[in-house]
Amino acid sequence: MNNHRLLHFLSSLTVISVGVAMLVGLSSDWGTPAASFAAFVLRLVTVIAAVAVFVGVFNLLAVHLGRLARSERGWPYSLLALLTAAGVIALRILDRAEVWSGDLEGEQMSARAFEAVQVSLESALAGLLVFFLVYAAYRLMRRQVTIWSVLFTLAVLVALVGWIPLEETSALADARDWLVRVPVSAGARGILIGVGLGTVAAGVRVLTGQDRSIRG
Amino acid sequence: MIDNSELIWVVVAITFAAMMTGRFIARRFTVRLRPIRAYETLPVLAADAVESAKRVHFSLGDSALGSASTVTALVSAEIAYRMSERLAISRQLPLLTLTSPMTLPLAQDTLRRAYLYRRTMDYYRSSTAVWYPPGLAFAAGAASLSADLDADSNILLGRFGTNLALLGESALRHSQTVIAHSDLLEGQAVAFAQAREVLLGEELYAGPAYLGGTALERGSVLAQDVLRWLVILGIIAVALQAI
Repeated sequence: MNNHRLLHFLSSLTVISVGVAMLVGLSSDWGTPAASFAAFVLRLVTVIAAVAVFVGVFNLLAVHLGRLARSERGWPYSLLALLTAAGVIALRILDRAEVWSGDLEGEQMSARAFEAVQVSLESALAGLLVFFLVYAAYRLMRRQVTIWSVLFTLAVLVALVGWIPLEETSALADARDWLVRVPVSAGARGILIGVGLGTVAAGVRVLTGQDRSIRG
Repeated sequence: MIDNSELIWVVVAITFAAMMTGRFIARRFTVRLRPIRAYETLPVLAADAVESAKRVHFSLGDSALGSASTVTALVSAEIAYRMSERLAISRQLPLLTLTSPMTLPLAQDTLRRAYLYRRTMDYYRSSTAVWYPPGLAFAAGAASLSADLDADSNILLGRFGTNLALLGESALRHSQTVIAHSDLLEGQAVAFAQAREVLLGEELYAGPAYLGGTALERGSVLAQDVLRWLVILGIIAVALQAI
């Protein structure tokens, strides 16, 4: 019990002291000891972030290996993920070794594979998003008709129809422009200010060592 | 003229003072927070998941320690912890997905602490906190994993873009409940359209106060309100000055 309390005390002390030192450092003039300390800690974080990517990849591989070993539902996808990961790592190693010859000489095959698979897949999925959103608006109206769901659906309709390049819909295009410029802009700012205020309040809670996530 | 660094200290000082006053009030009087349906639903979802021996999928999205969304990640993890405390009596571990490898230890520790608290560490496995690469790859991976594990509900709190639509769509197809929030506008819009209950803007940061919060957490909700009114008064004053 005493060890636990000591751990709580030390972790709270570390968070408060580093947090306050960073706050002082980031608001100090460049070149002062406090600013140098803040810059040093930020560099440290960058290095840790780079190492953490390895941890992330290792975690992903471990999760899929586990699913494969236990033959959980969807294990073929896990197998595919593992084989793809191994393939891309192998390609990267071959790229670094500059083994490609002929037409492929000097090419980065891992980057090509990324462009060919990942980028095109992401673009295709991004294209589907608009249909998801329209369907979501339809479902929202089916689930519960409130003033807010009606407003949302009307805004979606005005925005979508307003994009149609026809003379007959020019009034809707103007309505769309007004919608984006006035109520959407005001609402967006309101939400962002709210997020900012929430961040400040929660940040001060962390700085005072009251956030439980920092304790052991 | 106040420069940025002075303004930061002024804001921190006002927030701290408001928070301490809020804590004082919360300790001596009964503070009634306005009802937020998402926070009323969360404990019910946890109870349903335990009773039906199903899993709950939490996602922190792109919120990450060491970035602009650090506080969002911490608060989302704290809400996941409060929920995991309730779920830790079951052998069905919650699933926690995210895109930031820096935040992975926080996610694992969040679940570990919940199982440690319930003294059910035998059930705990660190592999239920899962990292995916960011973007649509995350949405596709997390959605399929949640569907494969037959999760009862998806609680998506943190930083999401439009890729939230993929997660939401998959959840709705598999009859899973969705509770969502995003500190990005596009994600917030998708959350509003798809989620059964949505948390708007600053409501996420009040989460710990609603889920069995301490006096200080309830005090920080008061601090948020004080800051909000100061901003409103500031905007009105600037607008009047401009006329």
